[in-house]
Amino acid sequence: MRKAFLFFIPLISLISLMFLWASAYAADECLICHSAMSGKVKTAKGDVVDVHVDAGAFEGSVHGSFECTGCHVNFTSGPHTPPGGKLDRQITALVPFTSKKSKSSPAALAACVNCHKPIYDDLKASVHGENIFAKKEADAPLCLDCHGNPHYIVPKADPRSRVNHANMLETCGRCHENEEIVNKYGLSPYVIEKYKESFHGKKYILGHKRVPICNDCHGAHLITKVDAPNSPVSGEGKVKTCGKCHRGATAKFAAAPAHKYIGKDNPIPYYGEKMLIVLLLGVFLFIFSHVILESVAEIRDRVFRKEDHHHDE
Amino acid sequence: MTNEINNQIPKEIERFNVTFRIQHVLMLVTFLLLSFTGWALKYPEVEHAKWWVNIWGGPDMAGKIHRVAGVTMLLDFFWHVVYLGYLIGTGKMGFSLKTTIIPLPQDMIDAARNFAYFFGLTKERPKFGRFSYIHKFDYWAVFWGMFIIGSSGFILAFPVFMSKFFPGFTLNWVWPLLRILHSDEALLAIVFILFWHFFNEHLKWGKFPMSWTWITGKISTEEMKHEHPLEYEMRFGKESDK
Repeated sequence: MRKAFLFFIPLISLISLMFLWASAYAADECLICHSAMSGKVKTAKGDVVDVHVDAGAFEGSVHGSFECTGCHVNFTSGPHTPPGGKLDRQITALVPFTSKKSKSSPAALAACVNCHKPIYDDLKASVHGENIFAKKEADAPLCLDCHGNPHYIVPKADPRSRVNHANMLETCGRCHENEEIVNKYGLSPYVIEKYKESFHGKKYILGHKRVPICNDCHGAHLITKVDAPNSPVSGEGKVKTCGKCHRGATAKFAAAPAHKYIGKDNPIPYYGEKMLIVLLLGVFLFIFSHVILESVAEIRDRVFRKEDHHHDE
Repeated sequence: MTNEINNQIPKEIERFNVTFRIQHVLMLVTFLLLSFTGWALKYPEVEHAKWWVNIWGGPDMAGKIHRVAGVTMLLDFFWHVVYLGYLIGTGKMGFSLKTTIIPLPQDMIDAARNFAYFFGLTKERPKFGRFSYIHKFDYWAVFWGMFIIGSSGFILAFPVFMSKFFPGFTLNWVWPLLRILHSDEALLAIVFILFWHFFNEHLKWGKFPMSWTWITGKISTEEMKHEHPLEYEMRFGKESDK
């Protein structure tokens, strides 16, 4: 009995491992070429596509155990057969929109929905999604614009992740700091700079791990306009959002501007700072001149007025 | 006669009692901690800001140290004020124009005379009492700092609670204003301590590199005669001057 047990356990493990190998083999098959290839090719549609896939980085990513054809759904087998195969209805519905954005394979870009359906639905309902699915814009953000290359996606907690806390400002800034996009969509200008000037932003720059960054207040996939009725950064929503960190936050507390430039439209802090600078310079002038003049007088006395001097007695 | 008086004059006398010295040390330690932990937040984008704040345990820990040190400093300040009230109330601290820390018109005259002396317009330095205008400026600057930096810091440290006390029309400007006040006045305080307090109390000729008074509380009668002649005369009489 015991012997049989000792025999079957390794056998079962081996068989299950073989299944794993089989699935990995499918990816390996593509990677035999694509990990060795370098450079870019021009597709029939005229897009320039990078054909290289870093096999090591891919295997280390959260998607590393996937088959290539899991996402590249219109490729079935064999490297040189043209894309074909039947597409899932869900994906077909998305392709007209993803084709605005994807260079080589809109179907692969739509394939995220296979596993991430709730997130895809959120995105569609968001202001980002509105630009893609209603206005059919090519420069509005879809999955990869924020999450980066799908072959190398790492967990959010990984410092290499584009949506890691430490990288979020840069990720959002790619569009929200881009003057062309800001003007085109009428976005609030200089938001990244304004955040950096804010109390939260200064702590963020110093590497604070828990200080709120863009998505912590504004949300991510279901992001709305600031003045939308369900916005997490205005009205009741803001009170709730502030309360995530500031326990017991009230509407009065939430009224504080989170990141605003202090301009002439806010005269008290604006001119207050100007007056403070005058005060500082005035005090500095007095203390510096006092110290310097006293020192000069002391040297003068020691050199020229020895007879009057009492300090050395 | 002269000899008799001279015999009564000790070599050194106590200028600050032990309570004042402890209050000063607490102020000194919390001031340094506050300056060090707050500094990185004033200029976070400069190259070494991250390195500096990490010395203090990272931005989170630096913030905690800053808050604890801030509250400690405020308590130290209140202790000082209450202690002064006790000394005055029990008659242990009298009042004299020659020993008071309260600014007087005479201080303006002294300052003007001192500048005249610096420029060589007069050969006589003004005669100071227990506290010259230099000391008074130094002392009351702390009160100013406590009022501006202390109160703004306390409000910024407990924003949810403190927001209840601000009327609605202030909410758009009071927070940026408090931040500017805290930050700019802190810079003023640091520069002031470095260039006014350190120079005048420690780095000056005769005191360099450090005056021991803040530890021992003592000042030599010789120094007192030159630095605080009016107080010296009040205690030991004019006779003993020569």
